[in-house]
Amino acid sequence: MMNDKNSQKIVDIIQNYARLHSLFVLAYGTGCGAIEIPPTMTSRYDAERFGIRGAATPRQADVLLITGYLTTKTLKRVIRVYEQMQDPKYVIGFGSCTINGGMYWDSYNTIKVLDKYLPVDVYINGCMPRPEAVIAGFVKLQSLIREGKAEGAKLYKDNLEQYRENQKKVIPNWVMPEYNW
Amino acid sequence: MEEIKSKIIERIKANFSDAKNKSYPGDRIDFSVNKETIPSILFYLKDEMGFKHLSHITCVDWLEENEFEVIFIIWSPLEKLKVFVRTRLDRDNPVMDNIDVIWRQAHTYEREMREMFGIQFNGLEAPQDFLLEDWEGMPPMRRDFDTEGYAAETFFERPGREDAKDVREILTERSGEIVPDFAKKYSR
Repeated sequence: MMNDKNSQKIVDIIQNYARLHSLFVLAYGTGCGAIEIPPTMTSRYDAERFGIRGAATPRQADVLLITGYLTTKTLKRVIRVYEQMQDPKYVIGFGSCTINGGMYWDSYNTIKVLDKYLPVDVYINGCMPRPEAVIAGFVKLQSLIREGKAEGAKLYKDNLEQYRENQKKVIPNWVMPEYNW
Repeated sequence: MEEIKSKIIERIKANFSDAKNKSYPGDRIDFSVNKETIPSILFYLKDEMGFKHLSHITCVDWLEENEFEVIFIIWSPLEKLKVFVRTRLDRDNPVMDNIDVIWRQAHTYEREMREMFGIQFNGLEAPQDFLLEDWEGMPPMRRDFDTEGYAAETFFERPGREDAKDVREILTERSGEIVPDFAKKYSR
């Protein structure tokens, strides 16, 4: 009975319903985007009415929010943070720097396309996105979870070699622990 | 203020024969010296003349003259005057004396200059990496470092940005202004 496809479907629906209403966010505050998080979380925009709230450590978090440009140095830390997170996990790329480099398009130490290095579920456009845009991004992520389409973590597992190759291209001295998959 | 300025200039010129002064208006005094004189002139300014505060150390890359110019900016809280002390280094072999015994905070500036321009400071005791990690090759703030080429080679580019046009080009087309050649190189 438990391996029945239809019952699994019902379990998934209940699971996704629970997940989308309690997104614990680990805000990785790189660049200038971190300053948009306090107004999003506090009383004016009050993101907690969507079930969005901060998490203290990677292991407690569901969403990794990358708020701006990533240098090759911070990318290394972000990869470690992402790999420590437990399933289910989602990544939100925040601001135009994570999409195409933004104003750092010709910098010598800033990566331009985040989804070559980490699986990004939702991008929020803007430089910087206002709290309304941030909330719209989260609502989009919630609808993806409801439909069961937010499968970044699965993508990362399946294409780990591809991602590793890209990551090692910008991080030549790779001394990182191997986490269990 | 001018009286105090000329007194300081006279005193420095009497003590350091290689110090050349260039006059600037306002609270600024400017000396250029040989690189061997740097520790002694800074010691003298700090201990004898009250320029107690090191505001900044910076480096200018004179690519055409094949030289680096290192500038020390120091401030006197008593006289409300600042002194620029400049020195030129050979670009192929940029070595100078470490001054972090005079001001401890010079240590940070020197590490940054070593990393970004490749200037070696005699006796600077610090780990090699400061802001960059595992950097190999030419220091990135040198003017002959091809930043755009390096970025294009190392990082991915999202398709759809190739046709991005120079904003300045479009604006000058509208207004009929002529952009000089050297400015074209640095704009997009």
